[in-house]
Amino acid sequence: MDLSIAQRESRLGWQLIAPSIGVIGLLIIYPILYNIYLSFFDVRLSGEKFFIGLANYERLLKDTAFYGSLLTTFIYLVGSIAGSTIVGLLVALLMNMRFPFRNIVRTIILLPYFAPVISVVFGWQFIFDPVNGIYNHLVVETFGLTDNRYNLIGDPETALLVVILFDTWKHFPISYLLIISKLQSINRDQYEAAAMDGCGPIGRFFHVTLPEIYFVLGTLVILRLIWNLNKFEEIFLLAPNVQTLPIFTYYTAFTGIIDQGFAASIAVVQFIILSFLIIFYVKKVLKW
Amino acid sequence: MTNRRTIPQNLLLALAICAVLLFCLFPFVQILSTSLKHQIDWGNPSLIPIKVNLEAYKELLGIVKKEETQIPETIKRLLDNPLITEEKKEEILETYRSTSDVFPFLRYFLNSFLLSTSAASISLFLAVFGAYSFSRLRFKGRKIVQRGVLFVYMVGGVLLMVPLYQISVKIGLAKSIWGSLLSLLFIYIIQTLPVSLYMLGNYFRSIPYSIEEAAAMDGCSRLEAIYLIILPLSVPMLMTVFIYCFIIAWNEYLFASVFLRQFHDFYTIPLGLQSLFVSKNAIWDRIMSASMLTLLPVILCFTFAMRHLTGGLSEGGVKE
Repeated sequence: MDLSIAQRESRLGWQLIAPSIGVIGLLIIYPILYNIYLSFFDVRLSGEKFFIGLANYERLLKDTAFYGSLLTTFIYLVGSIAGSTIVGLLVALLMNMRFPFRNIVRTIILLPYFAPVISVVFGWQFIFDPVNGIYNHLVVETFGLTDNRYNLIGDPETALLVVILFDTWKHFPISYLLIISKLQSINRDQYEAAAMDGCGPIGRFFHVTLPEIYFVLGTLVILRLIWNLNKFEEIFLLAPNVQTLPIFTYYTAFTGIIDQGFAASIAVVQFIILSFLIIFYVKKVLKW
Repeated sequence: MTNRRTIPQNLLLALAICAVLLFCLFPFVQILSTSLKHQIDWGNPSLIPIKVNLEAYKELLGIVKKEETQIPETIKRLLDNPLITEEKKEEILETYRSTSDVFPFLRYFLNSFLLSTSAASISLFLAVFGAYSFSRLRFKGRKIVQRGVLFVYMVGGVLLMVPLYQISVKIGLAKSIWGSLLSLLFIYIIQTLPVSLYMLGNYFRSIPYSIEEAAAMDGCSRLEAIYLIILPLSVPMLMTVFIYCFIIAWNEYLFASVFLRQFHDFYTIPLGLQSLFVSKNAIWDRIMSASMLTLLPVILCFTFAMRHLTGGLSEGGVKE
């Protein structure tokens, strides 16, 4: 065995990564391809399948529920991303100031992000519960904005708003964390120079802070697009009637009139959207 | 920026900080409060219970068993009727027993805990070697591996629900409970492996090569270097990655609902809580205590490992 050092290193490299590649290849890459294959079939829950060509896709293009789901997904993405990024930015600007107990406050802020979804969704449901919830109490009894108690989560349209609010609450800490670490690296001299040029606090924000964190904000938006497009539990457990693409696929594949081939074709559409986003992220943010 | 703030500005700042804290903490306070309230108190907007009720916690933790189910008077009278056969009586009683059966929280907790711990451990084990390989060794194809990891890291489990279910039906795993659990374990491993590879890879890259070179001079092989140098240096990061993987599996609902649907005894926490929530009335106190109890371990980890967790986030990139 007279392998050179480089050859030995190369061999060890492949040996160490092989188990991971095996698992990922078998259980992620192959299923993605298999999913595309299945989308051309009428697939039963029992595993029986019949080739039907593009029929699933034709049906998809005519399906109003699918377009409804696309719209819901779109509103959800825009709302939750705008919410978590803007709140994250505001909180980061706030936490960048000096005040007593700042470290404790900074830690507490991260709690929504680290709390498991399952521990908090029911709390959120309770807040909006028509009978007991504080929301209805405030709206009806305290402020008298409406006369009747209203089940916000029961109605898909208003439930979408609750989902967006929940998502903002759950995810702004990560935006805050990434933005503040960038904020802290901005050189103080730049602010002083801007102040000397006669910029007020708002002017300083637009001339110094924003250009510096612009890239982080962009990265956050694109990453959150990718993550939120894949979200299932956070929406489904809070409001099962808000049908974003993953939830629509789930219902099609496992409930009611089960049609797994059709579900596979929806997943293919989602995969294509996702791939574009990932390629965009890789090209523009990581600059490969 | 500067310390020259006027009093109104200070007041405004304090107000803003309080608003942020309220926004972050209110749902948690609400959960704690409701978990301690009696049913009559639920609709009361005050967060402080009129009278503290620990029954829900006791029931969940199995400290008190809910005694003999309450059978309505009319049914009791019906049961006294001699015309009804013993069999029929048993059947009627049975329906009452099953619907008011206690909340099998500990069982769900244990199921979830075992499944999440195993998945997180296996995926961490695989990822240590994998991440070491593509972040510190030079070989042909390493770039592709690295990019591939990032790609699968961003592809969610949602896309795989149909094919993975079909595959496990095909090889006959979805029929039995052990097959279903095995499928679920594999699914949790693949949902956490790319994240672990990605985070660990980023971290390993930040360890200076000179340390390993020094070890090589002392006659350490590469594998020994992983074991003796890289791993001890990465303990906080390994913990962070483990906690992340654990939480991913701990939260998972989609595949659990598909594979465990007919196996009630093996429900995980999200599945169990959701099905109880949908099927029963007036269980806010128990649902909220369950939420508190599932939150507790995370809060404990959080207070102890805070520095490492946030450090890990900025060093290892973010997960989701």
